[in-house]
Amino acid sequence: MVCPDENMLWVQHPALTAGQRRYLCSIANVYSTEHMRRQMKQHYLNVLHTCVQAESHLQKEIWGSSTCFLFSPLFFQHYSLGSASEQGNETIKCKLVMKSVLPLFRCLTSIERSVECCQISLSASSDRVIIQFFCRHGITKTHNLRFQESEALQAVFASHLCPNVVKAPARLLGDMVMHFPASQEEITLSMTPLRVSLRNYYEGGNVTDHMRMMYTEMSLHPDEFDYFQVGMESDITFCLKELRGFLSFAESHCLPVSVHFGAAGKPVCFSMEDMVLEATVVLATLIDSENSGPSQPIGTPVSTTPRCADAAALTVVSHGADSTKPQDTPAVTELIASSQGSPTINPPALIQLLPQTDNPDGLGAPEEACASAITTPASTMICSLLFRALASEQDDDGCAARLPVLACYSDTEEDMEGDYTRSPSL
Amino acid sequence: MKFRGKIIDVACLNHFTRVITTISKLTKMCVLRLTPDNLFFVLSGKVANGGVSMWCELSQANFFDEYQMEGVSSEDNEICLEVTPENLSRALKTVQNAKAVKVKLTKKHCPCLTIAAELPTLSSVSRVVTHDVPVDVIPRRLWHEFKEPNMPDFDVSIYLPPLKTMKNIVDRMKNLSNFLVIEANLNGEMNLKIETDLVSVTTHFKDLGNPPWGDDASQDGGASQSRDPEAMVEARVDIRRLQQFLMGQQVNPSKAMCNIVHQRVVHLILLHEDVSLQYFIPAVA
Repeated sequence: MVCPDENMLWVQHPALTAGQRRYLCSIANVYSTEHMRRQMKQHYLNVLHTCVQAESHLQKEIWGSSTCFLFSPLFFQHYSLGSASEQGNETIKCKLVMKSVLPLFRCLTSIERSVECCQISLSASSDRVIIQFFCRHGITKTHNLRFQESEALQAVFASHLCPNVVKAPARLLGDMVMHFPASQEEITLSMTPLRVSLRNYYEGGNVTDHMRMMYTEMSLHPDEFDYFQVGMESDITFCLKELRGFLSFAESHCLPVSVHFGAAGKPVCFSMEDMVLEATVVLATLIDSENSGPSQPIGTPVSTTPRCADAAALTVVSHGADSTKPQDTPAVTELIASSQGSPTINPPALIQLLPQTDNPDGLGAPEEACASAITTPASTMICSLLFRALASEQDDDGCAARLPVLACYSDTEEDMEGDYTRSPSL
Repeated sequence: MKFRGKIIDVACLNHFTRVITTISKLTKMCVLRLTPDNLFFVLSGKVANGGVSMWCELSQANFFDEYQMEGVSSEDNEICLEVTPENLSRALKTVQNAKAVKVKLTKKHCPCLTIAAELPTLSSVSRVVTHDVPVDVIPRRLWHEFKEPNMPDFDVSIYLPPLKTMKNIVDRMKNLSNFLVIEANLNGEMNLKIETDLVSVTTHFKDLGNPPWGDDASQDGGASQSRDPEAMVEARVDIRRLQQFLMGQQVNPSKAMCNIVHQRVVHLILLHEDVSLQYFIPAVA
C-alpha cells in the first residue's frame, strides 16, 4: 500500500495498527491530486488501447474498407510537434505495421496495473516511432518501431450528399447485429420510410448449401433511431465483420453512431465522435445491377440475390499538400474495378469526410520531446476489388419448386397477432 | 402438416432454450418429433455417430402457452423433422428478452421452423426478429427409426455423482486415454477407470445410492436381487462420448442415473421437472 506522500509522518504513529494505517492511507489516497491524475492517465490509456484493438480487428480484412481514427490534440496530456521537420510542413505521415503496435497495447489489465504514463514520440530523422511506457517502481519500457513514410490514404466520402442517414446509440446497432452469428460475413441493410431492416446475406455458391442456411431478419421502426432520414429506399449489402470491432468500440464509449448511405453500390459510412476523437469506417457495398430502380418492394421476405458483374470500389484520395478547405465537388464518382483491374486513384479534388482539426497552439509543454498523434493510415490497396462477383447462373425460385415438400405455411407472413381461427388438432 | 406454438413466459423460454442448447452440444443433427402432447428430440444410434443414441422428451404444456399441430394424417398425428439444434439454439438465444416467441413450421426457400419474436423497445412499435431454421421433413416410412428406446435389461442402476465433479474428472482423464471404464455395483459404489501402458487412474465414488426400480423394471425376473451387491458391473466406452454428454449439461437435474448392462451399454438418464433426457453409449471392446 503506497502512501502518496512521504511527508505523511503521522501515519507512522506507533499507536496505529497496520490495518488502521492502511485504512487511513486509502482515504488520503482518494483525496490526493496525484491519485486523480493517475486515474485520468489510466482512462486515456484505456481509450488508446481500445482504439488500437478495434483497428486491428478492422484491418484484418483490408479490402473494401477504410478506417480512420482521428485523435484531437485534446485527447493527449501533452501534444506538440517539433519546430523543424524535414518535410517542411506540419503534418507527418507515416505508417506502422499493425502487428508491431498491437502487442504493446494488448493486455489492458497489465497496463492498468502497472503503466502510469505512455509517451509516443516520432523522430523523423531516424525513421522511428518511440513508444514509452513509464511504469510503476521506476520501470520504463521503450519500444522503437520503424515507420515508413506514406501518403495517408483516406477514403473520401461526401456524407452530406447521402440521401439516407440514421443516427442511433451504439447500443442499438449492437443489439441489431447481435442477432447474427459471429461468422456472418455480409449483411443487407434495407431502408424504407416505414422501417429499417437487416438480414443476412449469403453469396451464391452451391445451391443446396444456400438452401440449408439459416436466414435471419430483423426490423425496426424509424422511431427507435435518434435521427432518421430516408431520401431513397435502398438495400445495401456490406461486410458485417468489418463493422463489429467499430461497434464494440463505440458501445464501450457510449457514443452515438451515424450511418450515411445511398443506393446499392455506393459506399456506406459509419462514424462516431466525441470531444477528443473521431472515428469512421467507410465500407463498399455490393452493386445490385439487376435492380436499376432505387426502390425495393417493402417487406420482401427473402432477399433477391443481386447478380453483380463487378463490385463497387471506394474512391480514395491521397492527401495533397493543402486539403484543409472542403471544396465544392460533384457527387462522389464511383469506380467500378474489374477483377483484374488495377487501382485507380482520383485526383484529390474531392471532399474529405472529416474536417481537419487545427492544431491548437501552446497546448503541450514545450520542453517535452516532440510528440505527435499517430494517424493510422488506410491501406494503399483500398481501391482494389472488394467482393467477389456473384455467380450469374443462380435461379432461386426454380430450385425451390422442384423439391417435394410436405409442409405448408402455418400462417401468413404478416400475421403476428396469432390468428387461431383454424381449429386446433386436439 | 401444421405446427404453431407460442411461448410468452420468460422462464419457459429460458428453460426451452437451455434444453435445446444442451441437445446441440450432444449432436449436430437430430430428429424433432412433434405430437399433440410432447416434443421429442431423437438421435438414433447409427454407426456414423458412434452408435450413440439419445432420447429427450419435453411436455409441451410446460413450455408453450399456445400449441397447435396437425400431423401428417389423422391416424399419424405427428410431425417428424430433421433439424440442426444449434441453429435453433442460436436463434432462441438472441431473443431471450422477447415479449413473445412464436415457433411455426413454414415453407420459405425450403421447409423451415420459423422463430419469430417481438422484442420490447422504448418506442411504441416492437422490434421484430425472424429466424428461419431450415428443416427436413422425415417421411412416414422412416418413422420407425425414431421410436422411444426400450429400457435396457440393465445389470446395475446407480445414481450419478454431481455432474460437475464427473465432468472435471473425465476432462482430465481424456488427456490420458481414449477409453474409460465405468463400473458400478448395487452398493452405491461407482468407479471411473482409465488404463494405459504407463499409468492407470481410478476415481472412486461411494454412497451414491441405487434407484429402486423394483422387480418389474428389471426384466430378468428378479435375478438382480440375487446379484452380489459388491460385484461390479462394467462397460468400456469412448471417453469423448461421455465427455460430450457431461459438457452439455447446463442445469442440475433433479435426478441423474446410470444403468449399466455389463460390457454392452451405458444408459444415462437425466430427469428434470419437465424434461427427461436419455443417452445411450455403447460399450467398446
